[in-house]
Parts: sequence; structure tokens; C-alpha cells
Amino acid sequence: MGHPLYLQPRQESQLAALTEANGFLHMLADGLGTPLNVLLPEQIAENLDRFRAAYQKHHLGGEIFFAHKASRSSALVRQLAATGGCIDVASVEELQHALSCGFAPARISTTGPKDPAFLWLGARAGVTFHVDGRAELEALAALVRTYDLPRVRVLLRLSGFSSTGVRTLLRRSRFGTSFVSVGVLLDTVECVADVVELIGVGYHLDTVSVAEKAVALEGCINVMDECRSRGMRPQVIDIGGGFGVSYLAEAEQWDTYVTELTSAVLGARSPLTWRGHGYGLRSESGKAAGSLGLYPAYRKVAGAEYLDELLGTPAPSLGRPLATLLLENLYDLYTEPGRALADQCGLTLAKVLEVRRAADGDEWFVRLDMNAADCSLEDHGVLMDPLILPSGDQCSSLSEDSSAEPVGVYLFGNLCLESDLITKRLVFLPRLPAPGDLVCFVNTAGYCMDFSAHQAQQRPEARKVAVWQDRDGSWRWSLDERYWPITSSGILWEGAAV
Amino acid sequence: MRYDSITDAIGNTPLLRIAPAVHGLRNIDLYAKLELLNPFGSVKDRAAWNMTRPDLAEAAERGSQIVELSSGNTAKALALIAGLHGLGFKSVTNRMRVPEIKELLLLLGAQIEELPGQTECLDPTNADDPLTQFHRMLSEPGSDYLHTDQYYNERNADAHATGTGPEIVRDLGGRAPDWFIACIGTAGSSSGVARVLRAHNPDVEVVGLVAQKSDFIPGIRNIDEIQEVGLFDPLVYRTIDAVTSDEAIDGMLALVRRSGVLSGPTGGAAYFGALRYLRPVDAQLTQRRTAVFIVCDRIESYLSYIRKRRPELFGGKAERNTVATLSDEEVGAATTIDIETAQQWIAQENPLIVDLRSPFAYAALHIEGSVNIVDELFEELVRGGLPFSKRRPVLLACPVGEKSVKYAAVLTRLGHPDVRSLSGGIVAWRDAGAELVRE
Repeated sequence: MGHPLYLQPRQESQLAALTEANGFLHMLADGLGTPLNVLLPEQIAENLDRFRAAYQKHHLGGEIFFAHKASRSSALVRQLAATGGCIDVASVEELQHALSCGFAPARISTTGPKDPAFLWLGARAGVTFHVDGRAELEALAALVRTYDLPRVRVLLRLSGFSSTGVRTLLRRSRFGTSFVSVGVLLDTVECVADVVELIGVGYHLDTVSVAEKAVALEGCINVMDECRSRGMRPQVIDIGGGFGVSYLAEAEQWDTYVTELTSAVLGARSPLTWRGHGYGLRSESGKAAGSLGLYPAYRKVAGAEYLDELLGTPAPSLGRPLATLLLENLYDLYTEPGRALADQCGLTLAKVLEVRRAADGDEWFVRLDMNAADCSLEDHGVLMDPLILPSGDQCSSLSEDSSAEPVGVYLFGNLCLESDLITKRLVFLPRLPAPGDLVCFVNTAGYCMDFSAHQAQQRPEARKVAVWQDRDGSWRWSLDERYWPITSSGILWEGAAV
Repeated sequence: MRYDSITDAIGNTPLLRIAPAVHGLRNIDLYAKLELLNPFGSVKDRAAWNMTRPDLAEAAERGSQIVELSSGNTAKALALIAGLHGLGFKSVTNRMRVPEIKELLLLLGAQIEELPGQTECLDPTNADDPLTQFHRMLSEPGSDYLHTDQYYNERNADAHATGTGPEIVRDLGGRAPDWFIACIGTAGSSSGVARVLRAHNPDVEVVGLVAQKSDFIPGIRNIDEIQEVGLFDPLVYRTIDAVTSDEAIDGMLALVRRSGVLSGPTGGAAYFGALRYLRPVDAQLTQRRTAVFIVCDRIESYLSYIRKRRPELFGGKAERNTVATLSDEEVGAATTIDIETAQQWIAQENPLIVDLRSPFAYAALHIEGSVNIVDELFEELVRGGLPFSKRRPVLLACPVGEKSVKYAAVLTRLGHPDVRSLSGGIVAWRDAGAELVRE
């Protein structure tokens, strides 16, 4: 099998405490079945505080909007509603969910493609709209006039920024209004000013590069100046999300893995993937070609720290740090982290159903009580090892079993489908799991837990539970849909007793 | 020596023996091939000239633009060669992380395009990777590029097989060294030189150096990135070692401060890597041996790179009258003034109002009658002394009152009797509903 190539997940204190609670997780899995998604709602409040601290460090005002699409969990959204954070919704269903979880309309913004029902409910309630372009702005204005709705607040979503000097190439986006045609859009804003209030402009770039974001942010500052010269008084620049998560504990494991994967693609070592899958890399006359289509699983700077770095970056042509430019132009900053706010907020459990040795190799096949869509790490290019939680009856014997040896396993899903692998890579585990053990994928709350879940072959979607520790440290749980921020504090019950 | 073209001055660089007292090897003579002394400043001059030379006449006739994926020295050499022949040059890169190099290239007339970074939300089906985009650009209808293709072009390695390699052998009296140590970027110099040295002495050991993963040394690739290089052949190297940026700077300092060689960090990496490899070998030797490494470029373009990693090297002279020299007591003792009082004070005393924000922000909105001196400039100004008359009161304003209170303390230290900082800054001014104008 060769030297095991581990990709151990990064776990902060709450998540680490939960994965230590072997008996509790087995009890949940036995009672509710697997796949099972377990959420830590209190963690999202902690993550929000880190973003707030980055704002404070740069003396910036403004709001942090959780990108709802990262998770369907009610517990997370309700807990966030209790903290004073804001939320960004991308569908009428998400809007209804946010309203029902306790978000006042002033704390909700809407992004993405919108249908008339979405526009109506948003405008009726009084949320802020990220407007994609002129057509949407006109449709929104017409709707407000027709149904005599209150004046709506809008942000203009811009794209296609250009830079001078060093030309930064930006990836083409299907969203937003090109920076060069913003004049026409502002003409429209003036025409509908009776029903629409422009509060600012924004962008969302799908990139990890700080340089590209700096170009876009400076572009926004220039557009805001254009607005001011037209007599408007916009106050907000929205820089979207994309702050990232570092999934792995150690940089070295990630670096080594990628090097070995490249060798494997070139045929210079034993395969590391199912049927020689290359994750975007391929061999062309002995040279590595293509580009690695993987999320950078270890990131030195991610989340609130990435925001801090971006804000400290000098604007490409104005020269001052971006935070200084925002501040001295008196603008508020809006951000829309999704993955970064859901970091460390949950895990996904699946029971091991079968373990067998490959007939033609020294790897093992491990079949799980879940399918690839129940934990879509692979769709999002996240490579991270699961933990093995031994079932109760083996627990003691295993920990004493020092002869346990590392193994390479392929994780198969429960669908009758050749391609249903939880991950296409060979996963190295410190020991061979046994039927009845739980395989635990940590840090799945952002995008990986329920974004792609489906009911193919009539397999049920995973249940969700929220968990927390009470004052004496023992674990409590509630179904996700029955969790409210007062549930975990116990106030509800103490109050009843008085 | 007389030349008709600057390109005639490419090559024939000195081979400098590093003093044993500097490197400490007892049995090995260590030589530095001073490629930094090429006319455009680096080892890449040879490859750039050799790759373009055959096609320049035709390119000039057609008006082609030279294009290359380069983050530094190759781009610099190509930009100069292009200018020399009346051609344009475009550098496409995602690796240009040294700001001075970017600015220098713009100064030389190059066009620079930076490739987009990795996507945050992964689309596994995305076929639009940056290199594919680049190659599509090359073949767009109507475009006319001379693509030098340094990572695959054999003429890159040939420049060293016909130049650098034979020069080393000649300068060592017709013998190849026992060790040759080179950093791997395009693998052009290491493979070209190795070819010649092996012909003289099949036992030459070639040590390749790459950058430590997750670290960055200009011009060198890491262990994964070299797999994408067409000229890279693992069989050329006896071993491939990794060097960190910190080690590269240490090596550079030894060359700069003790050998009089104005090497950049890449040459420093080669020196460091050479010594790390040779020291244990040296201890076992009984006969004299020879090793050669390449100093590929000069230090001047890397000041910000070095400052970022080793700020202590730049010392930091104690300045009087700067914000950094203020004590907490001095800042605490500075006078602040709230918005309402400030409005009355302005009406009655007509103080000089100094807005410390950038001209861009000032132009957009400011307090009527204020003057704009951006904080960076203000810092320079007060370093020399008090820039205002003591007889006129001064009101300092910044975005939130954090910087202005410090400058108020500096002015107070300089003896100004009535300087006040606007508490809460322009943000508080706006929030209080006080007037801001755009003139």
C-alpha cells in the first residue's frame, strides 16, 4: 500500500469535543439512522464574532450577511437571528425560511436570479435587493408601482471590472452588470428613484485571489463616486463572499498529498484514485497538464483573517489600503460569507455496512449507509479524511489493539450505481473499520451537508439534529426543525418551573 | 570592448571563486557563475536572445507581438529585445508577486496580464483553466504572436549548452566541475549546462534546487510545478532539494555582504543549497574538488520581497516627531473636540481645518473650507518641524478620529498652542448631520 497519505481535518474545540463523544453520536445514529447531519449552532455565533472583530480592527461600519445557500439548517439560521447577524437569501423559499426564523426584513438581502413571487414577497416585506441589471431593476420598479408597495432599497451588482497598468484578467461571470455599462444602469436608477432607493453597489467574484478582489473593490469606489456626482447618496459597498475555509490541520499533509497525486497521474507511483481519476490533472507525454480542480484544502489565511488581509491590501491605482479608502469615503462594508460562517458548524455520520478486500489489489472496499450526494465533499473538491468512530462493543478492544495497521480504502455509497463513490480517492485510515462503526465526515455544514442531497432510488435524505453541551458538559440534542436559540439555554424549562 | 548591439554583450560572464573564509569548505573550490552581469541583468538574457533570434526579422516584418508566460527575468529580457527590434511584448502570468518587477516591466514598455486565481466555489466540469485560455489567445484568428514558450523551447536549454556550459569548462582550464548546483525554473540552464559538463566528465553531480512548497522564491518552481515544465527531465539531477525563502535570503546576504556579489534571492538559494549539500561531502574528502553554482540575477528588484520577510535587515532609524515615537500619555493628553463644539469653534475662531484623508475621498465630500493634506504627506511634513503658524488654531480631521489625535499630539509636541482633533472624525460629522460639501 505504501506510506499512508493522511489528510486530517482541522477541528476547533466544539467540533473536537463532539467527535470525542463517541457514545452520544452512536446513540443518535442508532436512533435516527444514517446518513445523519449533526449541527453545532453555537459555533456560527463565534464565527460571526470573528468577522465583526475584523470590521472593528479597520474601524468599519456595516453588516455581515450569512449566505443562506451554504446550509438549509434551521438551527444555524435561527441561532444567527439571535446574534444580530444578517442573512442573504437566493430564493423565495430561503426568504420565507429567513423570515420564519426571526430575521426582520431590514436584516435580509436577496441575491441571484429572482422570479416575480420572490420580488413581490421581498418588496412587500422590505428586504434589500441585489439587482443584477437594468431589466431586473425595471421589473422591480414596475412591481412596486403596480402593487403600491413601499420604496425598496437596492444594491447594484457589478462585474467585468477593468484595471489599468497591470491588466488583471477576471473570470467571466453570468451575473451582474458590466462595469463599462454602469452609466446606463445609473440612468435607470434615476428614472425609478421614486420607488427605488440606491443604497450602494457590490460584486461577488468567484476567486481566491486577493488581487482580483482589490481591482473590483476599487472599481466599486469609483462607481460610488459617479453616483455621488449625480447627486445620489449611496453608502454601502458589498464585497460578497468567498473568504474560504481551511479544512485541513496540517499544511504539510496537503502539500505531500498533491505532490504524490501528481506523481500518480504521471504513473510514477501506485494509483491514489479510483480508475486513475486525476482531479483535473492528466499526463501528456510524461508532463503534468491541465490544472488541479480541487479546493485548496489547507489555507494559511481563511475566513475573517482573509477579510482582514483583503482590507489591508492597497488599492491597485488609488494606492491606499482598501479599508482606509472605504473609511475615508464614509462607506459601510457589507460582506456575504457562506462557507466561512458555517466553518466548524457540523458533521455528517454514516454507518459502515460492509468491509471487503479488493479482489485485485491490496486496498479495501468500505460500503457506507449514505451516498455521494449526502456528503458532497467531492462535488466541492474538498479532500479531507473522515474519522472512524468504533461501535460500542469494539470500543475498548480496539483502543488496546496496538497491532492495528493503516489501510487504504475506497468509500462506496449505497446506490446501485457504478459511480456512487463518496470520494474518488483512496482514503488512508489508521486502521480498518468494521461493520457497525460510524464514519464521521467533519466540517460539512457549509455546502457539503445538504447542498446536493437528493432522493435518487428513493433513498431518504439525511435527518438533521442540532446539538449542544449543557452546563455540566453533557451533550443534548434536538431535531433541527425543533431547535430554537432558547432551547439550548434551557430558559424555556426553567421559566416554566417558576 | 566595442559592440554594435547590446545583445553582443550577452554571455561570457565571469566565474568567481568564493573565498574559502566565506564558505568554510576545506577541500572544495566553490565558484559562482555571475550571470547577473549579463546586460539585462540575469541568466535569462541568454535564453531570451537565443529563443527570439531566428524569428525576429520575420516578426518585425509582420508586426508580431512577442508573448511569454513569465514572472520576471525572461519577461525583462524579452521586453528589451522586443524594444530593440521595434516589437511589442506581452507577459502573461499568475506568479508575479514582486511589485518592483511589475513596475520595471511597465517602465520597459511591456504589457502585463495576470491570470485569474483559483475559483472559490469549485466547478469540477470547468474547462476554462488559465493555461487553456492562454493557448486559446495565442491561436485567436487575427492575432499574431511570437510565443517563445520558454518552458518547452529547446533553444532555451541550447543557449546554455552552447554558452554557459562551455564557458564554465573553459574557465576551469578545460575540466568540468565535480558538482553543479542550479535552481530549477524553466530547467533551461540546469539541463543545458549539465549536457556539456557530462560530455567532459560523466560523473558530474547535478544538484537541482526547488522552492519549499507553500513558500515562494522568485524564478524557482516547487516540486509539483516542475512536473509541468517541458524541459524538466528528472534524470538530469542527482538530487532535488527544497530551499525556503528565509534560507535563500541568508545565502544572498553571504554573497552580498561578504563576497561583493550583488545577488538576488535566487542566487542566494543556489549558494545556500550548494553549501548545505557540499558541507557533509567536504568533510569526507581527501582530494581537492570543484563545484559551480549560478548567481542568476541582481538584488535591486527584490527590496520589497526582502523587507516583507526580514524587516529587521532594513534597520529603522529612530525618527523624531513621528506618530511612532509618541507615548500613550502624549496621545491621551491631545485635545479632542466633539462635533457640536467643533461647529461652534469653527464659526467663532475660524481654525485651519486639515482633512487627512486621501485626495479622492476629500474631493468626493469634505468640510467646507478645509484643506486636504493626506496623512502620508502630513507625516513627512511634520518630520521637519511645525508646518503652520502658532497664531492660528488648527482642527485635524480623519475618518474616525484615530489618526488625527496622534497628529494633534505630534503638533503639540512641536509647540503648537491650540491644535484639536475632531472626535469621531468625518464619520461622526456625517452621522451628526453636519454639512459635507462636494465642490
